[in-house]
Amino acid sequence: MNCNKEAIQLMHKYLDGELLKEEETKLRVHLEECEACQKHFHELKRTITLVQSTGQISAPDNFTQNVMQNLPAEKKSVKYMR
Amino acid sequence: MDSMIKEKIKQVKRGDQTAYEDVVSFYQHKIYQHCYRMLGNAHEAEDIGQETFIRAYVNIHSFDDKRKFSTWLYRIATNLTIDRIRKRKPDYYLDAEIKGTDGLDMYSQLAADNRLPEEEVQGLELQEYISQEISGLPPKYRSVIILRYLEEFSLQEISEILDIPLGTVKTRIHRGREALRKKLRHV
Repeated sequence: MNCNKEAIQLMHKYLDGELLKEEETKLRVHLEECEACQKHFHELKRTITLVQSTGQISAPDNFTQNVMQNLPAEKKSVKYMR
Repeated sequence: MDSMIKEKIKQVKRGDQTAYEDVVSFYQHKIYQHCYRMLGNAHEAEDIGQETFIRAYVNIHSFDDKRKFSTWLYRIATNLTIDRIRKRKPDYYLDAEIKGTDGLDMYSQLAADNRLPEEEVQGLELQEYISQEISGLPPKYRSVIILRYLEEFSLQEISEILDIPLGTVKTRIHRGREALRKKLRHV
């Protein structure tokens, strides 16, 4: 299997949850024999874990209140209809 | 929760402005976070986050009830953030200090989770570093990575939010993952 084209493509399909059964076998067999791809695959999975580990950010306290104060008056809203 | 939002939207469409408060309150953190991740700083995130909810309100009649409200809302937010990024001056710095906040920049606003203090310092530095690398991605990759991994939308939903074909979403996610892999492999 061509590592750069085929194997990496399969890794991304796997990460998107779209790998077919036979492709999964193909990828597994390849990973068992190719150290570079093993490393690549591990790094990709770890990247996702790292991205997901960044904390949640909350809106400032008066956020909702500020939106409500800045809404146009109710009767005028008709004007904006498409 | 979806049915609660549906009901509120109906009320808003009938002219009940107060019902909108519950909608804003429900989505405020998600939308603010999305804007923050896209823009990289608190000031613009608040500005564009506010604008998102105001735009959604004035255009509420163009929202099709058969669709998911969150998808529609994220679409407005994403378009507004991308417009803002385009309008920026080239000398704009993501880690610039926010005026009048005494050393506060985008990274100082990341929430900590519950870990031991010594782990927390390390963890926060790492989180800041990762956030910085996400912010450093070109906007078209940044948006899909944020929507997929921080907001947990499906590929199909991302295609609807960004109004781009599913194949394009996949290509951008692949490239975004590869770009981040290169940046984060030594972490």
